[in-house]
Amino acid sequence: MKNVFVLAVLFAVATASAEDMVPLKTKLPPPLFVGTPVPINVPNLEPPQHGKRPDFMVPKGTVNLALNKKVTSSDSEPIVGTLDLITDGDKDGDEGSWVELGPGKQWVQIDLGKEADIYAVIVWHYHSQARVYRDVVVQISDDPKFEKGVTTIFNNDYANELGLGAGKDLAYIETYQGKLMDAKGAKGRYVRLYSKGNTTNKLNHYIEVEVWGKPAS
Amino acid sequence: MHTDESVNAYITGELLAGKSFHYDPQDRHGPALFVLAEPVARLLGANNFSGLTESQLRLSPVLAGTATVLLFGAGVEMFGFIPCLVAALLFAFAPLPLYYSRYFIHETLFVAVTLGLILSGWQALRKSSLPSAALAGFCAALMLACKETAALHFFAVAVALFVCRFAASRHFGMPGPVPARTFGILTCAWTAPGAPGWKIILAATTAFLFTFILLFTWFGRDWQALPDLVRAIPNFAARAGGEGHQKPFWYYLKLLAGGGSGGIIFALAVLGFFRARGSASRLFLAIYALLIITIYSAIPYKTPWLALNFWLPLALLAGLAIEWIWFATTKLPVRAAVLVSLAAVGSLIAQDTRQRVFLHPADENNPYAYAHTVEDLLRLPPRLAQLARQENLAQPRIAVVAADPWPLPWYLRKYSQVGFWQPGQNPGAADFFITSPEAAEKLGDKLKNFRPEYFGVRPEVLIILWSPWDRSR
Repeated sequence: MKNVFVLAVLFAVATASAEDMVPLKTKLPPPLFVGTPVPINVPNLEPPQHGKRPDFMVPKGTVNLALNKKVTSSDSEPIVGTLDLITDGDKDGDEGSWVELGPGKQWVQIDLGKEADIYAVIVWHYHSQARVYRDVVVQISDDPKFEKGVTTIFNNDYANELGLGAGKDLAYIETYQGKLMDAKGAKGRYVRLYSKGNTTNKLNHYIEVEVWGKPAS
Repeated sequence: MHTDESVNAYITGELLAGKSFHYDPQDRHGPALFVLAEPVARLLGANNFSGLTESQLRLSPVLAGTATVLLFGAGVEMFGFIPCLVAALLFAFAPLPLYYSRYFIHETLFVAVTLGLILSGWQALRKSSLPSAALAGFCAALMLACKETAALHFFAVAVALFVCRFAASRHFGMPGPVPARTFGILTCAWTAPGAPGWKIILAATTAFLFTFILLFTWFGRDWQALPDLVRAIPNFAARAGGEGHQKPFWYYLKLLAGGGSGGIIFALAVLGFFRARGSASRLFLAIYALLIITIYSAIPYKTPWLALNFWLPLALLAGLAIEWIWFATTKLPVRAAVLVSLAAVGSLIAQDTRQRVFLHPADENNPYAYAHTVEDLLRLPPRLAQLARQENLAQPRIAVVAADPWPLPWYLRKYSQVGFWQPGQNPGAADFFITSPEAAEKLGDKLKNFRPEYFGVRPEVLIILWSPWDRSR
């Protein structure tokens, strides 16, 4: 009888949890290039995305906390565009939608205004041609200087060129769907994204960054 | 190195290694560039492909570009001092000719010998000079041995001369043609007293045929090249349709008029076009410019280096415009203003040259860097060397699997164990694989224990370096 009760409780909790999880719904921009065909069934390579990305489940009530939030950067005077383009909701890949930062290691940082539970970060660097951005690292912290309490949710800097530790995530080709990174509910007010050039040039680009989460309770 | 440069480098390397040139009717040009490049590279110490450097190869177009600048000195009699001075300065300092004068492709040499043909041909016809006629034939053969598009230029020159024939006798008071002594298309020109017309034509034709056969057969070693050249005609006709390089009619005009200085130079050339009168040679220049620009613009296949063919007449026409402005202004203050304006144009040219030639030569936003190899690929050789050291491999086995591997042969030339395969072929075992994303799919489990690393080749084109992956690291 006791076992049945425990099972019933677990079932109820699981059902309640499942009901609280909903697919993350973001609006995708139109694709601008057919793209270098991403290999299929190749071990160790970022799996391809044919058609729509599989649903990524987030707690009900999760929203894009980054929309229209303040953005700062290691390059305060971008070569092209302005930093506010990164959180303006425009994900089109055309000129005028992206900001171009200087060559080499650069970062952008979004201030969410207050601490939040973060479930996913989606980044669109540049999607009008097939490119791979180098040494992509995404971190979350409550410290605006990212000196303490830092959670790294994505790192494909395998050679530790940025000095943030060697990462094991895989490089990926940019597409109009952006790159979704699982933040696993990490807490923090600031989200910082690093990169170090790309396969076409040494510059760094951002079209949009979305931070999906809920204000910390 | 651009893909085309790397292909030319490979051919030069083969010649340095003692092999002979074989004309490929499918996708190659003639041997003229290599006649220059091989001895230059050898003189600089190279004796095979792996020993070549960019500087050794690119010195050849530098020499051809320098020759063009100097040749304008021989054009003073034909076009006048100021037009030739301006054209020489534009060839020496403007971004377009400077950019391609260090590009190891055929274009710079082609333009140099085109100018050689125009100058020597004019001398031959005006002075009935047999040496000039032979030189013209020699230059025409070199043009054809550079690029098969020489036929377009021969047509434009012939039509321009034909028009000049009538204009010369009617407006310039020059002796008209002597049909009884000349024949063929060259009757369009006029001859001064001197060698009979048939001797002029014979000298030019003999020099042309001798040089043409000598070069295309690679000094008598490959006679198959002659029928191959005929077989190449349908290939080039098909290529003219675009083959992925098709662009709108106005592409070249936009390219030439671009940048801070392009519009001004182009406007001067247009002014020069309308002032190109007073002598048959200037009329010839204007007609030749109009024809060659129209012909190239009408062909769907377009690449930016082909615009160098227009730069030759346009630079001279811009010189004609400046000459006209100079002589139209006699008052000192006005001339001072003209000089100041020219200095300002010079400053704009310098800025464009600095940006396009020196600061951003491989940037995809540079209109001259057409499908150019991106800087990212320069990271591949040192990365391979680093990985080989890590794996204690003195001579790693590298398997390249890609439908179009160029320019990788250039960047991997230092490695002795490099093989190239097409997607779907089995490359066997290797220490490193380099694949296109498409080819990787077909290698399947062979890549199971390899770590992928992307490198850019050209805008839109990526390759993957696969290195042994120790997951415990």
